[in-house]
Amino acid sequence: MGELKTIKCLVWDLDNTLWDGTLLEDGTVTLRPGVAAVLAELDRRGILLSIASKNEPEDAMRKLAEFGLAQYFLCPQIGWGSKADSVAEIARLLNLGLDTFAFIDDQPFEREEVAFHHPSVRIYKAEECRTLPDLPDFTPRFITADSQLRRQMYQEDLQRNAQEARFEGSKDDFLRTLDMRLSLAPVKDGDLERVEELTMRTNQLNSTGATYSYEELTAFITSPDHLFLIAELTDKFGSYGKIGLVLAEKQGTVLKIQLLLMSCRVMTRGIGSALLGWLINFAQEKGLTLQADFVSTARNRIMYITYKLMQFEELSRDGDRCLLQYNGGSRDLPDYLNMHVSI
Amino acid sequence: MMEDKIRNFFIEKHKADGLEDDTDLFKGGIVDSLFAFEIVVYLEETFGVRIPDKEITEDNFRTIHAIAAMIRRVKGV
Repeated sequence: MGELKTIKCLVWDLDNTLWDGTLLEDGTVTLRPGVAAVLAELDRRGILLSIASKNEPEDAMRKLAEFGLAQYFLCPQIGWGSKADSVAEIARLLNLGLDTFAFIDDQPFEREEVAFHHPSVRIYKAEECRTLPDLPDFTPRFITADSQLRRQMYQEDLQRNAQEARFEGSKDDFLRTLDMRLSLAPVKDGDLERVEELTMRTNQLNSTGATYSYEELTAFITSPDHLFLIAELTDKFGSYGKIGLVLAEKQGTVLKIQLLLMSCRVMTRGIGSALLGWLINFAQEKGLTLQADFVSTARNRIMYITYKLMQFEELSRDGDRCLLQYNGGSRDLPDYLNMHVSI
Repeated sequence: MMEDKIRNFFIEKHKADGLEDDTDLFKGGIVDSLFAFEIVVYLEETFGVRIPDKEITEDNFRTIHAIAAMIRRVKGV
């Protein structure tokens, strides 16, 4: 397999890992040296932080608040269940693969339990915590404005998901309450770091998994034969940031989608079909046949299904690669989404 | 029965009532690419099949009847 991906989420134990002492026994505990700086640095890099601790939830959260650290942690799992279960639950809530997770704990028992159930989670001993920012696993290639807002965006997502879980109507009705606005605009030089971040990090909603060098991307920006668009989504809770990419090449009477990609943070928002629907209508207006490259990877079946259920058909296939073509009519765009395209 | 299991899945997940075997699921907004992946996973786990790429088409997902027919075809039943 290829190289390990950068860690997207680090799950912390509390007693004798984040702080010295056992909260429920000692009453007072002190932060371990250097921990606050490590948390701040990982947060700055866009690495999400969470907790799996066997503790009383209220006491632990109160202590974290006293230390001024509570805001760093998403979906803390504090209770008496197994830590392997806690890590799995965090991965489920954040919709992230376990192969992008790391776990740090002082107890060999806990480290082995998590490793046994989740072999792809990277495990660290408590005493390693100050060295983590120096490790390649914790060093993303790019730190963009989006990375620094990542925690906040995930917190907003959790609010959205909580509201959705409470919502009584259908999925579409819920989406209408969100007031979503999708803006599509040509990629500019200033977007390129985010473009590279998206191509490196996005696995599920990625039509080919292809990555491009800075030089190649810069060339697409000015190429008269390429449609190179970046999508930003906002709703009433806030902005999701720049979360989608389209790269399409005009070849004679064909417009071929070379890359279609969306952050899985927007996976349940119908953005894929909105983008595809817009592309379909755009191609029809220009009298072009719309095709798409597709490369099946271990994680992007959902993207294949998206294309096929929007009436794309396979023209040809060679192993994992295939060429899809749209053969239908014009599409209605979903009414729960306000699309704003500036090209 | 397979059709009823599938219907119950939609009722549970989409709060969709009154689904006949031949109700157009796309028109009703019941199936869209949002939900399609969940449906595929549900069908594969519940009926113990792997739906091949060539069976992933709008027609095969258009109605409960079509979905059930596809599953039976894939199972070789």
